[in-house]
Amino acid sequence: MDQYPDENEEFELQYQEELELMDEFAEQNDFVPALPNKTIVNPAPILSQGSLNSPQLSQISFNADDSHLSSLGGGGGPVNRRLFGTPKQPPTRGASTPFVSKQKMAPIQEVLDLNGLDNEDLDMGPSTANRALEELQKANNKRKRLERDLFGDIGDLFGDDTYEDPEAKKARTEEERDLEAIEKILETRRKLREQSKAVRPDSLARLEALHAFKMRNLSYNIPQWPFLPLRRSDDERVYVRFHSEEYETKAINEIHAASGLGGLLGEHKEKIWEEANELVLKRLSSNKDGASHEHAPIVVEPVSNDDTRLWVEKYKPRKYIDLLSDEMTNRSLLYWLKMWDKVVFGKEFKALQANAANNGEMSNFNKRTGKFESNGGWRARKTKQFLNTNVDEMGRPIQKVALLCGPPGLGKTTLAHTIARHAGYNVREVNASDDRSPEAFKMALENGTQMSSVMNESKKPNCIILDEIDGAPRQSIEFLVKFVTDSVPVKGKGKGAGKGAHNILKRPIICICNDIYDPALRPLRQIAFVVTFPPIDSSRLAERLVQVAQNERMKTDFGSLIALAEKSGNDVRCCISTMQFFNAQKKGLTLQDVLNNNLGQKDRHQGLFEVWGAIFRIQRPKKQLTQAKGDEEAQVTMTDMSMSTRVRHVLDVVHSGGDYERLMQGVYENYLQQKMPDPNLNGIVEANQWFCFSDTLQRQIHQQQNYTVYPYLQYGFVIWHMLFASLAWPKINFPSKSFEFNQKQTTQKNIFQSLRKSLTCGAIGVGQGHVVLLETVPLLKKILSPQLRSVAVQLLSQKEQSDLKHCVEIMADFGITYHQVKSAEGPYIFRMEPDLDALAQFPGYTGVTLSYFGRQLVAREVELERIHRSTPKAIEQNDKSHTRTDKKPQERKPSAKPNTNATSPTNLPNHLQRLKPKRIESSKAASETVSKDFFGRIQRKTPAQKLAEEPKSDPIVKSPIWYRYKEGFNNAVRKDIHMNELL
Amino acid sequence: MALWVDKHRPRELLKLDYHKDQAENLKNLCQQGDFPHLMFYGPSGAGKKTRIMCLLRELYGAGVERLRNETMTFTTPSNRKIEIMTVGSNYHLEVNPSDAGIYDRVVVIDLIKQVAQTHQIDPNGQRDFKVIVLSEVDELTKDAQHALRRTMEKYVATCRIILSVNSTSRVIPAIRSRCLGIRVAAPTPNEMISVLQAISKRENISLPLELATRIIDKSERNLRRAILMLEACKVQQYPFTAQQDIVELDWQVFLRETANQILTEQSPAKLEKVRDRLYELLAQGVPPDVIFQGLVKELVKNCDMSIKAKTLEYATLYEHRMQNGAKHIFHLEAFVAQFMNIYKKFIADAMMMDDF
Repeated sequence: MDQYPDENEEFELQYQEELELMDEFAEQNDFVPALPNKTIVNPAPILSQGSLNSPQLSQISFNADDSHLSSLGGGGGPVNRRLFGTPKQPPTRGASTPFVSKQKMAPIQEVLDLNGLDNEDLDMGPSTANRALEELQKANNKRKRLERDLFGDIGDLFGDDTYEDPEAKKARTEEERDLEAIEKILETRRKLREQSKAVRPDSLARLEALHAFKMRNLSYNIPQWPFLPLRRSDDERVYVRFHSEEYETKAINEIHAASGLGGLLGEHKEKIWEEANELVLKRLSSNKDGASHEHAPIVVEPVSNDDTRLWVEKYKPRKYIDLLSDEMTNRSLLYWLKMWDKVVFGKEFKALQANAANNGEMSNFNKRTGKFESNGGWRARKTKQFLNTNVDEMGRPIQKVALLCGPPGLGKTTLAHTIARHAGYNVREVNASDDRSPEAFKMALENGTQMSSVMNESKKPNCIILDEIDGAPRQSIEFLVKFVTDSVPVKGKGKGAGKGAHNILKRPIICICNDIYDPALRPLRQIAFVVTFPPIDSSRLAERLVQVAQNERMKTDFGSLIALAEKSGNDVRCCISTMQFFNAQKKGLTLQDVLNNNLGQKDRHQGLFEVWGAIFRIQRPKKQLTQAKGDEEAQVTMTDMSMSTRVRHVLDVVHSGGDYERLMQGVYENYLQQKMPDPNLNGIVEANQWFCFSDTLQRQIHQQQNYTVYPYLQYGFVIWHMLFASLAWPKINFPSKSFEFNQKQTTQKNIFQSLRKSLTCGAIGVGQGHVVLLETVPLLKKILSPQLRSVAVQLLSQKEQSDLKHCVEIMADFGITYHQVKSAEGPYIFRMEPDLDALAQFPGYTGVTLSYFGRQLVAREVELERIHRSTPKAIEQNDKSHTRTDKKPQERKPSAKPNTNATSPTNLPNHLQRLKPKRIESSKAASETVSKDFFGRIQRKTPAQKLAEEPKSDPIVKSPIWYRYKEGFNNAVRKDIHMNELL
Repeated sequence: MALWVDKHRPRELLKLDYHKDQAENLKNLCQQGDFPHLMFYGPSGAGKKTRIMCLLRELYGAGVERLRNETMTFTTPSNRKIEIMTVGSNYHLEVNPSDAGIYDRVVVIDLIKQVAQTHQIDPNGQRDFKVIVLSEVDELTKDAQHALRRTMEKYVATCRIILSVNSTSRVIPAIRSRCLGIRVAAPTPNEMISVLQAISKRENISLPLELATRIIDKSERNLRRAILMLEACKVQQYPFTAQQDIVELDWQVFLRETANQILTEQSPAKLEKVRDRLYELLAQGVPPDVIFQGLVKELVKNCDMSIKAKTLEYATLYEHRMQNGAKHIFHLEAFVAQFMNIYKKFIADAMMMDDF
C-alpha cells in the first residue's frame, strides 16, 4: 500500500540487476546469457521512466518493479527478508503471486506478432521469461513462512468472504494446505526447469548477437557516454549506458528484425507458449482444488475475471471496514441505527452483541463501537450538532429518519446497505425505479415497517432504505413525513392501545439523496438526521484502486490512480469503471492515459456554496499532476500558488457554477464579511467598480439579448478572489437580502397601487408617481393622526372636533378606512386599509399614530361619512347644510329633518322642539336650487339651453312631484316624462 | 376635496396666484380656438397640473371637472396583464403611462392611439379635439417616447396632447420639437408665503409669518409640500407658535442619518450597515437618483473643502453608471465606498500634516 519506497527499497531498486545477475550465475553457471539479460532488461525501464533518482519512479510502473523484486528474491536473501518483513506491502504480494509469469507471457506473444515494438518486455526472450518464472518459484519455495505471513495480511485486506466464512477452521488447516502448496510448487518448478533447458540452446545464437550490443553499452570503467553505475554482487562496478528513447526503439527494432530472420524464438515459441499456459492452468486448478482459503481472494478472483461482472459490483465493500467513506460519517450513521436497537430488538440487544462476538469480523467491529461508546469523546464533539441522542418515550431516537446526502459515487447506498446489514437488519430498498406514487409509497412503508419476511429464516427486522428520494413526488415525501411524525399520537389514540402499538413506526428508515436542498425535501430535512457525505480522501480512494488493480493484475501505479481519483472528483464508481475500461483494452493505466483521457472526468455541477467558497478561499498548495508538453512524462508537483493558477482555478470553478448573477449576488452580500487588511478600503472600491461593471454588462445582456459580452462577466470573480480570498475557511451566507428587498418592494408597490385605486378623482393634489410616495404619503400620515383624547365625541374640544372632521373627510376622499383585525400578539388593532402605516415607514421612526381609541373613533366617523356620501344626491342636497352644522354625527340621519326647522326659524332648545309638517315653500326653494343643478352648469349656461329650459320649466318645476332623469356623463338623451306615464 | 392642496387649488387661469403673465398668455391661446401640443415643464410642486386643469376648464368649461376614474387593462405581447388607472372627463383623458413600468410602450400604442383616433361625438358647441394629458413623460422609456412621436403628428386633427414633465432633458428631442414648451418655474418664497397666508385666511387660522417662512425653507420651494406641511402642522399643534416643530419627511431624515453614519465611521462593517439602509430606502420607493442627490448634498455639506470636488466628481461618475445598470444598490454602495476611501485618505493625510 505504501508506494513510497524507503531507503532499503531504493537500494534494492538500484542494485536489483546485480542481484539478478548473481542469481543467474548461481543458477546456470553460464556467463554469456547473464550479461545480455541484464543489459536488455536494464536500459528499457530506466529510459522509459526518465530519472531513476526520483523516488516517485518506483510507483510509475510497479509491475515492472515487481518482476525485478521477485527475481531478486532468490539471491538477495537479506534484502528480501527486509522487504517482506514489512507487512502490508502490496508489491511484495504481487511479486509472490505466480501470475507474474502470465503477465510476462503476453508481451512475448506480442513480439511475435510484431506489434509490441515499444514494449520493454520484448527483450525478455523466452529464456529470460522462463528464468524469471523459475526464480520466482524458487523464491516462493524459499519463503514459505514469509508467504504465509504475507497472505495472512492479504486475507485481511481482501477477505471478501471472510465475513461469512468461519475463520477458525481455516486457521487449523492452514499448515496442511501450505505443505500441499509447497509440494505443488516444487513439482511445477521441476517441470519448468526441464522446459527451460530445452529452450536454452536455441537462445544461444540470439544472445551471441546481443553480446556485441552489450559491449557498446556496458563498461567496467567509467565510460564517455551517459551511464548509470551499478554494483554487482561481487562488488564489481558496471556502467550501463543511457540511450535516447529513439535509439532504444531503433535498437529494439533491429533486434526484432534479426529475431524475425534468424528465428531467435523459432518454432519453439509455440511450444513455450503452450507449456507456459499449461503451467498456469495447472497452477490455477491445483489452487482451486486444494489451496487454502487464505489464498482465495487472490487466487479465485482471477478465475472469475473473465466473467462480465462489472468491477463496481465486484469490488463493492461488503464489510464495515471496507467502507471508503469518512469514518465519522459512517459512525454517526451507525450510532443512529444502533439507537433503534432498543425498539427493534428489545431485550435481544445484548444477545445480539454476544452473537456478534462469535463472528470474527463482527467482534472486531463491535469492539470498535464499544470503544467509541466508552470514550464518547468524538460523539460529544462532533455529532452533537447533528444527532439528537435523546430517545422518546418509546425508546426510539428523536430523529426517526436518517437522510444521507452527497454527490454521486461516494458510496451512500453502499454505506446504508452495509450498515443496515451490520446492525442486523434486513434491507428493503425503494428507489427511483420503483413506483413512488403516494399510494405505492404508503404500501412500501407500511409493509416494510409493520411486517417481516416469512421466507427469510433469520427473521431479521426490516430497515427501509429510500434511495434517490430527491426524485420522489412531493406528495410521497409529505406522506413520509406524516408517517414518521404523526403515527404515534394519532394512531395510538385512535385504535386502542394494542393495535396502536403496532402502527407506531418501529423500524429505522434511511433516505438517500444527492441534493439536500431540493425543495421537495424541505419538510423531511427538518425532521431527519441529516448526514452529509464529505468527499472521500483521494489517497484513500487510490489505495483501494491499487488493490483493485492488483486483484485484476492491471498494470498501473499509485500516481496515476491518485490522478484518476482527483480527476473524477473522488467518485469511486467512476474510477473503477474507468479502470475496467482501460483493462478491457488490455493495457495498463498510466499517468499519461489519465491525463490525456477525457474518461472519468465528469462535468461536475458545482454547488453555489462551493463556488463561493472557491472565490473567497485560496487553495492550499497540494500535490497536482501536470501534463508536460510532448512526450515528457507527467509529473507530480506541488501546485504553485501563482496568480495564473489562482486565476485559472477561479475561472474554472465559476464556469462550472454557471448562473453568474446569483453568484455575483452571493459575492456581493458576503465580501464585506471577509477579513482583509484594507484600511483605506481601496480593495472594496475596486471590487465595487467590478460590481458596477458586471451590473452594466448584465443589463446589456438582458435588455438587448447581447450575449457577446457574456464571457466578460466571469472576470469580476477573479478580481474579487484576488481581493478578498484568504487561506482561512470563509463563512458564507446565502444571499437573501436581495430577495427580501424585492419582496418588500412588491408589497410596497401593492399597497401603493391600492391607494391609487381608492383615490377619488378629485384628489389631484397628491401628485403623480413617486411624488406621492415621497411627499404626500409621509405628510398625509401626519395629517391623518390628529391628537384626540380618549373621551366621547361630544366632549372633544373645538380643535379636536375640527381635526377629526378634517381627518374623516380626507380619509373618505382617499378611500382609506380602518379595519379591526386581530394582531399577532392577540389584542385587536385597527389597521388602515390600504395600509398607509407600512408605506414610507422607516425603521426607527415610529411617527405619530393614533391610539386605539382614536382609531376606533375615526373608523366609525369614516363609516358614517361614507354612508352619507353614498346617499342619493337629492337627499344630500336637502340636508347638506344641516350636516355641516351638525356637531353630532350619530343623530345626523334621524334628526336631519326636524333639525332644519329647529335651526332655521326659531331658536328653540332641543327638548322643546316638536315634529312639524314640512312646509311646502321650503321644499320648493330646495327644488329650485335643485333645478339649477339639474342642468349641470350652475353659472355658465349656454343660451340655447336657457331657451330650451324656459318654456318647460313652468309646468314641471312648479308641481311638487317630478321625475328626475339620472344624469349620465354624456348629456346624450334627455326627455320629459309625466308621472302618469310611469304609473 | 378635503385636503387643502385640493381644496384651495385655483380653478381658473385668472385666479392663479403666480406666473400671472403666463396665465394671461394661456388664456389668449385658448381664445384662438386651436392650440398646439403643449409640454408643461418645471420642478415638482410648482403648479403644472393646476395650470393644465385651469387650461382645460378654459377650453371646455366646468364639464372637465366632472372626473371619473377608470381602470384599463392591457395585454402585453408576452401575455402579461397590466392595469392602468386613468382619470378623465368627457373632454379629456389623463394617463400616467409610466405606471406600467417597462410596458409603457403598450400603453402608448394601445390606449393613446385608440383615444386619439376616435372623434368627438358632439362637435357643435365644443372643440373638435380632445385632450390627452400625459404625466411624467420623462419617466417613459425611449421606446414609448418613440411610439408617441408619430401618434402626436398623425392624429393632430382629433386630439391634442399635453405633457407634464419634470425635466425636458429626458424627453427625446423629437417630442420636444413637436410641443410648445411652457415652463412652470417653482414659486418664489414670497409668492409661496402669500399663498400660504391666503389659505390660512380661508381656513380661518392665523399663520405667523415666521412659521410660514420656516415651512417654505423646509419645503424647498415645493408648494405642494409647503401646503401639506402647513396642514400637518395645524393638526399637530393648532394655535401656531413661531418656533413649533415642522413636520419633516421621514425618508429625508433617514437619508441624512445615513450620510452622517458614513461620515462618522469608514469601515467594511459600516459599509454593510449603510447598505442595509440604502436597501430600506429603495424598498420604500425612494428613487435611486433622489437618494444619490440627498447623500451627496449631505456629504458635501459636511466634508472638507479639498475633497468636495472629488466627491462630486465621483458622484456623477457613479450616477451615470447607475443609469446604465439595473441594480441600483451596487452603484450606490460603490459611491459610498469610494467616498469612504477618499475621506479616509484625507483624514490620514491630515494626521500626517499634524505630525509635522
